[in-house]
Amino acid sequence: MEFIDTDIRPWDANEVKEQFGDSLTLLPSNDNIKELQTILRDKNTTRSDFKFYADRLIRLVIEESLNKLPFTDCEVITPTGALYKGLKYGAGNCGVSIVRSGEAMEQGLRDCCRSIRIGKILVESDTDTHEAHVVYAKFPEDIARRQVLLMYPIMSTGNTVKQAVNVLTQHGVKEDRIILSNLFCTPAAVQAVVDYVPRMKILTAELHPVAPNHFGQKYFGTD
Amino acid sequence: MAGKLNKFETPSSASSDSDTELALELSEQVFLDDDEYATRAPASPTTVPNVRPYRPPSTGSNILKSPRARRVRTTSMSQSNKRTTAESILHADRRTIYTAGRPPWYNCTGGQEVEPFLIGICGASASGKTTVAAKIIESLNIPWVTIVSMDSFYKVLNEKQHQQAMRNEYNFDHPDAFDMELLSGVLQRLREGKKVEVPIYNYVTHSRENRTKTMYGANVIIFEGILAFYNADVVNMLDMKVFVDTDADIRLARRLRRDIVQRGRDLEGVLKQYMTYVKPAYQNYIAPCMAHADIIVPRGGENKVAIQLIVQHVHKQLQLRGFKVREKLAIAHIGQPVPDSLFVLKDTPQVQGLHTFIRNKDTPRDEFIFYSKRLMRLVIEFALSLLPYSTHSVDTPQGFSYSGRKCDVEKICGVSILRAGETMEQAVCDVCKDIRIGKILIQTNQQTDEPELYYLRLPKDIKDYRVILMDATVATGAAAIMAIRVLLDHDVPEDHISLVSLLMAEIGVHSIAYAFPKVKIVTSALDPEINEKFYVLPGIGNFGDRYFGTEPADDE
Repeated sequence: MEFIDTDIRPWDANEVKEQFGDSLTLLPSNDNIKELQTILRDKNTTRSDFKFYADRLIRLVIEESLNKLPFTDCEVITPTGALYKGLKYGAGNCGVSIVRSGEAMEQGLRDCCRSIRIGKILVESDTDTHEAHVVYAKFPEDIARRQVLLMYPIMSTGNTVKQAVNVLTQHGVKEDRIILSNLFCTPAAVQAVVDYVPRMKILTAELHPVAPNHFGQKYFGTD
Repeated sequence: MAGKLNKFETPSSASSDSDTELALELSEQVFLDDDEYATRAPASPTTVPNVRPYRPPSTGSNILKSPRARRVRTTSMSQSNKRTTAESILHADRRTIYTAGRPPWYNCTGGQEVEPFLIGICGASASGKTTVAAKIIESLNIPWVTIVSMDSFYKVLNEKQHQQAMRNEYNFDHPDAFDMELLSGVLQRLREGKKVEVPIYNYVTHSRENRTKTMYGANVIIFEGILAFYNADVVNMLDMKVFVDTDADIRLARRLRRDIVQRGRDLEGVLKQYMTYVKPAYQNYIAPCMAHADIIVPRGGENKVAIQLIVQHVHKQLQLRGFKVREKLAIAHIGQPVPDSLFVLKDTPQVQGLHTFIRNKDTPRDEFIFYSKRLMRLVIEFALSLLPYSTHSVDTPQGFSYSGRKCDVEKICGVSILRAGETMEQAVCDVCKDIRIGKILIQTNQQTDEPELYYLRLPKDIKDYRVILMDATVATGAAAIMAIRVLLDHDVPEDHISLVSLLMAEIGVHSIAYAFPKVKIVTSALDPEINEKFYVLPGIGNFGDRYFGTEPADDE
């Protein structure tokens, strides 16, 4: 396959802003993150390295996603007796991972929020029609009152995420209270998802025409 | 000075200096404060088993050190083997004295806060100048002392002079043998508290080595040499001029003993050299120097009364000048722009929330540990992003070529400043596979509030590494500056060091950035002030105590 180089480069933050407005946020990039992405893209990366660097990138994406959750101002007294004006995280959040690759991000979330509740959705797509349908979903009972951090690392068409959002809204979760945490997605997938649920917030580490679809296979070692 | 050589030695064998040897020493030695050098024994909690006994600098004795024998000048020199200048750390009377000089603290105008006290010690060969210097340091009881030896300033010899030197026909005791201009320049800079590069003289090639020894101005600077009072510019700079006067017969006896017993030379050669160069030099140049002296110390280092008088005088002078380094630091930074070498983690809601948890005095320890670890991870990831990277293309399973980035740095190692810095080791291990970790123990002296170096373990070839230097909090920056100084002494290039911390006070950042502008300073928050106990305000409190659960009971 031959691509023209300029067509297969990642989008920068300005292009993202212009095309998708506030719906999509790019993880603020730096050389360190680019290196992680390069290692994950490299077909010669060993599985042990792949998992190690994927986990590092996931941790950074999760940390950034958490910034989209609500918080309130608060003041605390430090051990030196001084006043510190800080922030308090809001309660009532939960994570939802889309099986299977989304589960790779669960540990990253656990490492940041020790006791957060995590729901699961299993979406299967028909190999012929690419149509996705939900086969399993299990959520915390009061999910309707919670902010949901939806975890799905690779998005190439957006079909799976659309179905997952469907299930969530059926359980009473409001569209604007869902945050999608994502490592790699394609512009087409974002467009499809944004058209479908315009008020959902999406955070991704990279917007690129070609998604690394080997992610789940390589991460879990089933390739 | 009779720097004549019968045999050649390894290049860095000059008695005046050896950085490589210092590095070896530092990485293998445990520093403990103890009453007696001779009885130095494992006594502190930081003790490790392989403590090698430390021997004091002493006149006339040529000390061999294991595992590598100290290189020995085999020929007669006009002075004793100067341990004080070769060793950068002295131990005296329960204290560690860092003789390469105190790291620089500057006030806001860039000058030193207090002018150092410069003591000149002059005296004939083998008169006991080094012993006097060492005794003064011991009794002075201050942590930063710079010792400059005139030996370092021998002129570079041309081919003809080099041949003469090899035949023992070059007069090293003549004033012309010294580079007085360089000497007075170096002393002037030290007096201003600036960093100087002191040449390392190679007695084999009679030239200066490419590397130099870095020194800083200190509270007290001691300059010693046979012709210390010869140059008028130098004499004008000295605040106190001490002449060590030892009887000629004793000096000759010491030389004979040293050269014959320890250096294996024959009686005739030593006497000939003495008569040809050493004795005339004393009569013509050294003895007349006595006129400049403020105090003449007969019998050298044995003269306890004289040394006590000197020390009392210096103490009085220091008090008059108001030495209190860390307090002076506390106000020096106000109004200064933030230095370019400072990188603060982006202040997101998560980062602020994490800070709120760890700064709150009522946060239980498990939460304190959990949230500080999260913050450390972010800071370390951020520090890694500041390393140099270049474009790197890879082939993807999807069949196109992906143009990404790759870090240019092959070797990274972490160095933690005990105890609080150790808490960051896990984070750095989590992001860098199989990373090597070194440790430095620096403790603040409770009496003086000055930092002191106690313990050091670094990877052997640390000069080839990028170093992530970790400390949980930086207040005045004194410990961090000392740690950076130690890394530089191990030949780590300044721009290969990143100092990473959770919280820094502005004052500390300014001190570090001023002293070491190429060191990257990385933190997750910058606080404006420090209090009288040198805790950052609003701050975190004592990070190590809170993390390890060792707070004083009444804080619980």
